[in-house]
Formats: sequence, C-alpha cells, structure tokens
Amino acid sequence: MISHGLTRLSLRVRGKLTCILTTMTSIGTGYDLSASTYSPDGRIFQVEYANKAVENSGTAIGLRVKDGVVLAVEKLIHSKLLVPGANRRIQTVDRHIGMASAGLLADSRKISQLARDSGAQTRKQWKEPLTVKALSDTVSWNAQTYTLYSSVRPFGVSTIFGGVDKSGPSLYIVEPSGVCLGYHGAAVGKGRQLAKTELEKLKLSELSMREAVMEAARIIYLVHDDNKEKEFELEMTWVGVESNDLHLPVPADLLEEAKKKAKDALETFE
Amino acid sequence: MFRNTYDSDNTVFSPQGRLHQVEYALEAVKQGSAAVGLRSKTHAILLALKRSTGELASYQQKMFRIDDHVGIAIAGLTSDARVLSNFMRQQAMGERMIFNRPMPVNRLVSSIADKAQVNTQEYGRRPYGVGFLVIGQDQTGPHLFEFSPSGNSYEYYAMSIGARSQSAKTYLEKHYESFADCNLEDLIRHGLHALRETLQQDKELNVNNTSVGIIGPMGQHEKPISPPGSFRILEGDKVEVYLQSMEKKEEAPAPVPAPASVPDAAPAPGSDEDVQMSG
Amino acid sequence: MDHFPTNWGRPRNDAFDAYATYPIHQRPYNGPKDTFADGVQRTQQPIVTGTSVLAIKYKDGVMMAADNLASYGSLARFKDVQRLHQVGNYTVIGAGGDMSDFQYIQYILEELSIDEISAQDGHELGPIEIHEYMSQLMYARRSKMNPLWNSLLIGGFKDGKRFLSYVDLLGTTYSASTLATGYGAFIAQPLLRKAVEGREDVITEEEARKILEDSMRVLFYRDARSMNKFQIATISSAGVSISDSMQLETAWSFAENIRGYGAQTQ
Repeated sequence: MISHGLTRLSLRVRGKLTCILTTMTSIGTGYDLSASTYSPDGRIFQVEYANKAVENSGTAIGLRVKDGVVLAVEKLIHSKLLVPGANRRIQTVDRHIGMASAGLLADSRKISQLARDSGAQTRKQWKEPLTVKALSDTVSWNAQTYTLYSSVRPFGVSTIFGGVDKSGPSLYIVEPSGVCLGYHGAAVGKGRQLAKTELEKLKLSELSMREAVMEAARIIYLVHDDNKEKEFELEMTWVGVESNDLHLPVPADLLEEAKKKAKDALETFE
Repeated sequence: MFRNTYDSDNTVFSPQGRLHQVEYALEAVKQGSAAVGLRSKTHAILLALKRSTGELASYQQKMFRIDDHVGIAIAGLTSDARVLSNFMRQQAMGERMIFNRPMPVNRLVSSIADKAQVNTQEYGRRPYGVGFLVIGQDQTGPHLFEFSPSGNSYEYYAMSIGARSQSAKTYLEKHYESFADCNLEDLIRHGLHALRETLQQDKELNVNNTSVGIIGPMGQHEKPISPPGSFRILEGDKVEVYLQSMEKKEEAPAPVPAPASVPDAAPAPGSDEDVQMSG
Repeated sequence: MDHFPTNWGRPRNDAFDAYATYPIHQRPYNGPKDTFADGVQRTQQPIVTGTSVLAIKYKDGVMMAADNLASYGSLARFKDVQRLHQVGNYTVIGAGGDMSDFQYIQYILEELSIDEISAQDGHELGPIEIHEYMSQLMYARRSKMNPLWNSLLIGGFKDGKRFLSYVDLLGTTYSASTLATGYGAFIAQPLLRKAVEGREDVITEEEARKILEDSMRVLFYRDARSMNKFQIATISSAGVSISDSMQLETAWSFAENIRGYGAQTQ
C-alpha cells in the first residue's frame, strides 16, 4: 500500500513514468494474471490493472449540490469524423438517476444494464423508484463478484451515480473493486486528482444547480490537458429542481454559456 | 506487436489496463478488405471492396441487408458477421412486430455491441473478429455507425474499416464537411474515391470487386425501389455508371510508385492477400 | 364442523384409514399432488370492472372520456378510479373491463416508458407503437388462454397525426373516428357516429367535449354500471391533458312516471 501511496503522490509530477513504478512489483511474478490470485503482500493486481483502464479515460465528475446533482464528462474525441452530440458517455438509469463513467465504454453499458434492471426490479416489488444508494449498492455488489473469479475480469470502469430520490440529492461512485462510497463531489478518470482539488474548494452544499453547471464545466475544461490530449467534448446532465427531478441533458443554451465561462476562466487561470 | 504474458486470455487486464485479446480481435478486422461508409442529410451509403480467393471462386459477399431501413458492410471474419447480422435481423423484426416501427438504428447497433462486450469479459470465449459499418434511416434521419469487437459503437459522418482503411479515412477527413449537402451521385463518387485509396498499387475498382449499399431516396441512375428509400445493394453492371463518374486520382502517381502518398498504409504491401477466410 | 364428540381429536376417515377398512389402492393419499391433476382454471370473468370508454377524433386531435366507477358485480364499489392513463408524451389509454388487469397494464407500460427514456436517443413511443404493443400483448395472452380482461381505447397525437384505435381481450383491433367500449358500444357509438363521422376535421374542442358529455349522460341514464362522475382526456399538438373529475348534470323528474321507481301512487 505504501508504494501505491507513493505513486499517487508522484503522479502529478512524473505522469506516465509512475505506471512503471507501481507495476514493477507485479509484472512477471505470475501473481497478476487472475482476479482470483492474491500477491504475497495481499494485493489483487487484476483489480489494480482495471483501475488503470479507468485512469486512461477522460475525466468524469459529479457535483451533489443544494437542490440537485450535476454530472459532467470530458469526452475525448478520437476522430473528427464523429458526430458531435452522439455517442453519449452519460447514461440514464431511471427517470431520476443518471450515471457518468470513466473507463471501458462497453463495460459501462453493461453497468447501466445492471442498474436499469435493478430499477425495474425495485419498481415491480415495491412500486417505488429506487434510491441512488440502493442502486449503487446493488451495482457494487455485482462489480465485486467480478473480482472473485479467474473466469471473468473486473469491470474496467468507475461509475458515478447521481440522482434525486426520497432522501434528496445523492452521489455515489462504484469502483472496479466493488467499493461504493457516497460523495459531495466526485471525480474519476484521468484528471481526477486535479478535479478533486478543485471540487474541494467549492461549498458544494450551498451551490444551486445552475452554479454547479458553471463549476462543472470549468473543472472539466481545467483538467483537460491540451498538449497531450485529443479534442474533447463537454457532456453534461442534471437531476433536480431545475429538471423537475428528471435526469436530462443540461439545456443547450446553458451548456454554451457554461462552456464560454469555462474558457474565459481558463485564460485567467493560466 | 509481440507476444506477452497478458495476451492469452480475454479475462486478463495488462498492467496498463489494456485487453490484448480485444486488441488482437481489432487486428482481425484489419485483415478483411476495406469498407467505407458516409452520409449526407438525405442518404447514407456503404462501399466495399470484395475479394476473390481465385479465378474459380466468386467474390465474397461484403454487404448484408438487415431490414428495409438498415444495411451493413463487414470487414473481418465473415462467419462471425453472419451470426451477428442474423441477430440484428431478429432484433429488427421483433421491433417491427412489437412496436410497428423500424428499429432505431443506434439501438440496433448497441444491441450487438452489448453482445460483443460479454465476449471481452468472460472466460472461454473470444471476442468477435469482425467490424461493421451500419447505415440506416429512422425517425431521426440517416445514420452511419461503426461497430467493433471491443463492444464499442460510434456514430460517424463518414468512416472506413478493414485493410488499409487509414488511407480512406485520410480522404474522408479531408472532405467530410462537404458530404452533408451532397446528392447521392456525388456521395457515391466521394465514397469510391475513398475506397480507391485502400487499393494496392496494381489494383483498381471494377464492377466485380465493388459493392455499393444505399439508403435514401432514389438516385438519378436508379429504378424505383420498394418500399421507397429502403436499403439496396448495387453490384455488377449497376455500379458501372458510378465507376465512370470517378475522377482520376488527384496526385497522379507519376513514374515513381509512391507509397508515401498514402500516409498510414497497412504494414506490408500484399500482406492481406493470403488471408483467405476473411471477407 | 364435526358435531360428533367421539370424532374429535381423531384423524378424519377420509384423511386416514385407521382400521384398514379399504384395500391399499383405495386408501386416502395425503402426499403432494400433481399441480395439474385437476386441470387448471384461468380467469373466467372480470371481477372489479370499469364500464364504457368513449373516444372521438376532432379537429385538433383526439378526445376520450370514461367515468370514475369500478364496480364489484352490481355493487358500486370504488367511486374514484381513474380509467384514463397517460403513456409517454403523446398517448392516452382508456380501459373498460377488469381493473386489476388494467393496473397491471399500467405497470407494464410504465416499465416500457422508462426503458424508452433511458435510451435518450430522441426516439419516443407514440400512439401507433403503443397500440401495436398492446395488441400484441393482448393477443399473446388470449392465445395462452389467459387473457387480460379489458377493452382498451388508445388515442394519441404525434408528428401532426391523430390516432385512435381499439384492442380487446381477444386481441381484436379496430380503428375508426369514433370508438366506444362496453355498454357504450351499443348505446353511445350510434350517437357518436352521427355527431362525428365526416366532420372529424370540423369539430372544435368545445363541440367535441359536448358530444362526449352528452353521450356520457345518456350512458349514465341507461347503464346501471355507470356513474355521473367522469374525466375527459384531450390529446392534441399541445400534448396530453386529463381533466379533473366532472359531474354530469342530470334530470330525473321523468322517472316519476316509470312504474317501479320511487313512491307508487297507483
């Protein structure tokens, strides 16, 4: 665990080099070829490698604010032939819950299927929309089972679930390991460290949804590394009073305004 | 690429968080001959290069009809393509039966993408070895999608897959902004130009090796289609008129055969010739 | 109740042959029984029922009416039941027949709507799709000899087109510019046809409302399973709106002349 902490620290400084650092203890030992194998120091390398898949992906963040939740994703554009606005990375789970994920896109679609099934199940049994907490629990339970057997691999995604339910706005992250934690501000993917630092500066529980949209856009623009990365598209959705408690894309005009403000803020920041 | 410890099984992440078996499956797609897809505001079209295993063999089928409103072009293992296209047909028929509507194209593509994802996560399977370009028309207009064995699907203005598809992609990236307002004939000409880029030095497009798939209103060289605008495949003599419309290659490759004019051509010239099981 | 004290505390003879009165093959068997030994019986009749639903096409779309009563046999059991149900943004489904089956249908359609919403790809289910879905569902169930005991009207307005169609427990479908289910098919349908047919593009919203109200009133006079409290749904380019419950104005003075009604003077 110590070496892991070290890596985190050095991440900002040395970028890619850190990959080699962490993996030096694992490669070639044979303890990292299956999710069902522990290393002598008690680590499951396949789960850590799954986290690598997450770290290679565009950043996704979630803000839980006063009267709702905002999800935002830095969608990296791998080709200019892609149709803008299509190929969404934020998905809808239920009327009132959305999910943003970082990692293998195909895996995240499977996660969303699991999540929707769980929603349908709850509705059938209790005639009640499921809570974000219950949803994240179910999904994380599922994800955890994929860390137990050599016949499967862990999910290569970290998923942010955000929504408004009877307990108010909630925000959870489910990681490849099956860990599930609640957050006020959540960040996964490549730029999560910087995003977390920015999120920590905000008084999230006092923000309105509109303010959160502006902040979310600013953070995504900030964490995007122009030099190393391809083009990106900002994708944003919200759930809460502004959207009548439905998970919907942020209205186009507001999104444009947020983008513009984010770009302006970026110039003053640098 | 070289063999390593993490590539023998699709349930193993490499230390970099990559899935080598999936990446190898993507290579299988590149073994197949090229297919190109593009779309305008009114049409979506596919063009594909057919291969023949020899003088005595016919050309491998590259395009399949899924439903009146959807068609695909494939690159990679034809047998995998048949399994997946059959599944797509069932989905599309189901949608017509249950909801009386053409299945939304993105959902059709997602349905096979989700199927492909399972093969990247569970032991004892291999990822599919085929990539699709899918064109279709639904309530939201004409669409072009790419499906790949990784379980991803994306919507594009224009795309190419298969052997030396990078050259076609380069052409498409240069011209895609003009596609939206093209009429069918111009769109097909652009498509043929892109497809031509994938050819080896001594080869050229002809009525035998070229397939064109179209969705959208009838073109000026076509006979009425029923139902109007539905997917059709042009092959043989019907392609002639479009081949005639092609312009000579822009940078005429003068005496010096210049593979340099094709930026990211496939690794070794002729390397795809000996792959017989792929389409 | 066994009234013979000598039998109390003993096993019943039909459950246990204590004195081996019967030969082995005739002794009572108390083990588990094959589920289908006696055959199965499926729904033979609706239990809690709603009566007629009426619907007509008019200039701007489709209008539908149904009262708020759910009867238990001839008992007016539940008097605040809504029998018009919105599905998605373009469709209303009105149901007569078994109300528990209708509640099940509402659940199915809710699931369907959520699946459609989650796709978030710009495609939405309209009345045509929902009608096709319902007719496939109803037909599949009747083919399993286990029908959902309803007659349904599905009305909607999408992409500038109005839609009105019927489907029932047999999977029969039918389309017309006026439709009525249940008793209304006998009593109200002729009235609706007379008022609407050929004038679908002329009838205004107010006029349509009046036609339905008048028909509901006639039904209330004639149909013993109806009630004078009802709702109207309008579906037009403006979307779906289902009214609050309304009261029908009725006059019963003529009834004094009917033998068997009220105080008899002769």
